[in-house]
Amino acid sequence: MSSYLSLFKIKFINNLQYRSAALAGILTQIFFGLVFIMVYIAFYTSNDNQGPIALSQLVTYLWLNQIFFTLVFIFQSEEQLLTMIRNGNIAYELCRPMNFYFKWFVTLYASRIAKVALRFLPVILLALILPSPYNLSLPYGIKEFIVFLLALLLSSLLATALSIIYHLLVFYLLDERGILTLLGVVGEIFSGLTIPIAFFPEFLKTIAYLLPFHYICDLPFRIYSGNISLSVALPNLIGGLIWLILFGLLGYMISKKMLKKAVIQGG
Amino acid sequence: MTLYLQSLKMHFKSLLEYKSSFIIGFLSQFLVFFTYYFIIIALFDKFDNVKGFTLYEVLLTFAIIQFGYAFNEVFARGIDKFDRLIINGSFDLLLLRPQKILLQVLCSEINYIKLSRLLQAIIVLIIAIVNLNLDWNIYKIITLILMLISSIIIFLAIFLLMASYCFLTVQGLEVRNVFTDGGKNLAQYPIGIFNKYFVIIFTFIIPYAFVNYYPLLFILGRLENKILIFSPLVVLLYLFISFKTFKWGMKKYTSTGS
Amino acid sequence: MSFINVENISKTFKVAQRKSGLKATLKSFFKRKYFYIEAVKNISFQIEKGDIVGYIGPNGAGKSTTIKMLSGILLPDQGKIEINNMIPALDRQKYVANIGVVFGQRSQLWWDLPALDSFDLLKNIYKLKDDQYQKTIQELIGLLELDNIVQIPVRQLSLGQRMRCEIAASLIHNPSILFLDEPTIGLDATSKQIVRNFIKRINKERKTTIILTTHDMNDIEALAKRIILIGKGQVLYDGTIKHLKQKYGNYCNVIVTTKNILKTTNKKGIISKEKITDGYIFKIDINQITVSEFLKYLATKVKVDDVEINNESIDDLIIKLYKEFEI
Repeated sequence: MSSYLSLFKIKFINNLQYRSAALAGILTQIFFGLVFIMVYIAFYTSNDNQGPIALSQLVTYLWLNQIFFTLVFIFQSEEQLLTMIRNGNIAYELCRPMNFYFKWFVTLYASRIAKVALRFLPVILLALILPSPYNLSLPYGIKEFIVFLLALLLSSLLATALSIIYHLLVFYLLDERGILTLLGVVGEIFSGLTIPIAFFPEFLKTIAYLLPFHYICDLPFRIYSGNISLSVALPNLIGGLIWLILFGLLGYMISKKMLKKAVIQGG
Repeated sequence: MTLYLQSLKMHFKSLLEYKSSFIIGFLSQFLVFFTYYFIIIALFDKFDNVKGFTLYEVLLTFAIIQFGYAFNEVFARGIDKFDRLIINGSFDLLLLRPQKILLQVLCSEINYIKLSRLLQAIIVLIIAIVNLNLDWNIYKIITLILMLISSIIIFLAIFLLMASYCFLTVQGLEVRNVFTDGGKNLAQYPIGIFNKYFVIIFTFIIPYAFVNYYPLLFILGRLENKILIFSPLVVLLYLFISFKTFKWGMKKYTSTGS
Repeated sequence: MSFINVENISKTFKVAQRKSGLKATLKSFFKRKYFYIEAVKNISFQIEKGDIVGYIGPNGAGKSTTIKMLSGILLPDQGKIEINNMIPALDRQKYVANIGVVFGQRSQLWWDLPALDSFDLLKNIYKLKDDQYQKTIQELIGLLELDNIVQIPVRQLSLGQRMRCEIAASLIHNPSILFLDEPTIGLDATSKQIVRNFIKRINKERKTTIILTTHDMNDIEALAKRIILIGKGQVLYDGTIKHLKQKYGNYCNVIVTTKNILKTTNKKGIISKEKITDGYIFKIDINQITVSEFLKYLATKVKVDDVEINNESIDDLIIKLYKEFEI
């Protein structure tokens, strides 16, 4: 266990070095946040009919999207792992005294945490003090906030589990870029990152709620603003947990299979 | 020019070495870029206008901006990805050739895959124009053509500015997303729908408004002043400034190095 | 006035400091410290037209910085470079039309296309006339034994084949100066031989001035009469390789396998003796004792089972020079 902790720590520290990347990230998040919010506000204020979510909840959702983007965005690629998988050197990983799957889970998770740790404070502070209607609202209530944190934990773990599978697929695909971009976009849309699921046409909405991706953005961010009541949120959390276990197992099994094959192929 | 054409040919020949991956890449990119339009279509599914602009009017500005951006991604990829040239040292090799540096940078990379995006922008442009029912006249046609050209020029200028930054340091280059991707995201909409401070910034600091807003109002018949036909030409000034900045950056680079 | 004039050039770079540990990393996140590296300090030399000069030194000595300045990529902070009556970095476009550069580690060829395509592009870049280009290219292909090789995509070539194509590419426009940065690195013996003979030949036939950086002592001995040795940004030695060896000792390591025990050796020219498991390593000075004299002497003392003779590498020589100059 302690080896995983120190792995987490070293990856975390390593990511802290990228100072200018973090500053740039903060600026980007603020800018994109403002642009998206202004687009929605423009739509809301020029029509008599109200949108599917109250404006203040929507703006809060959009800010949270930007703030936690690096934590929950599914398809962040880790070049080191990808290269290793591409050139077959992955077999050497068997020589290490750590389980391959958990090692990379911890590594990928650490870099997510480090990225968000460096960026979230300035953006949150700014978003909170902006004048209405541009501002991030406070959580709906204490209880909602706690459940939100739980949901965020779940969502980041789920995103990591999915991203490992995405990395592993590279092993089986000759030219992975095209297909993986496509998968990435599907995941992005159905997690509610591109546009909140509430704005989807009805049939897409149904599909979105059948797929596992909505636990990633849609669920936590709506809990925060009180757009979903806790009585609905809690069973949803359990649903998300089941998906997490499923994808964890799936990734674990693929990694076992892949390593076996990599050893036979001889790298 | 012959040099650039020859590079186009050579990049195409290189591409043929990887036919299947090109086809997969092209198709997947083609599908991926529909997500940009997905946002707009989803929003107009719920609302019928934004500050008085209808779906096809917004799609028109979307397509014009995507067109200019994609055009640069295909034909000026070397400038777009200039940081890579600096990091892997290829830029130094270009300095060893008796040709204009900028021409060589342009020749260094052509990204044919992004033709999918260009093609898509053209399709959306046609869809928007067909559905708009405007009474076209020669003035409006000229305006539209100027808008398309200036869209290319403004992104070329922005890419150049970002490339100039690489001469000083390649750190923190992620910030360029604000100007390229962010600017593109914003300029896809008629700028007038934004907060007035944003309108000022994107009129005077990065002149997107001259590319797709003031001339748009003329095409749509909201403003009659014929001077607006030529407002896209403002970007030439911007290109000039970017060009000078690039020159300055290169001077700085050869005196500091990496 | 010489063909290449370098007067007191210096170049300094600014580098960010990095420390390890969470605390130091966090600290440098907010405030970053920089330090300065003097890559080149006050270097001067002249080179005449048609010379071959070995520009050598250990890694980080300032070799590639100097080459960059000589080829017009970098402007020196101080000092002056004048080559062929031009200032490389300022008259870039005109100047580079007349030089060729080969970086052993960096390719100027198109990876996915046959080298011939790259040559065609270079023809347009250098604005060469068709007949002249055809003549040069045929000559280069012949001399470098590239007949079929130039038709194959570069990525499928061996390192040696690729390097020969790189050299051809850098000579298409008949430059009067050729910079070769580690042209034989990683090559097999045959390719090395082809490359060396070729360099000699074009130097002789075209009077091309050649500046060569390398770690391979054999390159230098085969090609360059004169070497400029630099270390820590300064010129340590400028002259013939023979003279350098005479001056600073022409040492040679002799590894002797023997079961016998050797107590004392007190012959002139033996610098040091070191005991290893099944024998000894001697360092001898060839200026004072030849290898055969040494072996004859040794045979009188012990029964020699096996010998291995290694010439001292240029790096060893440099370490000695460092000591001498106390830098």
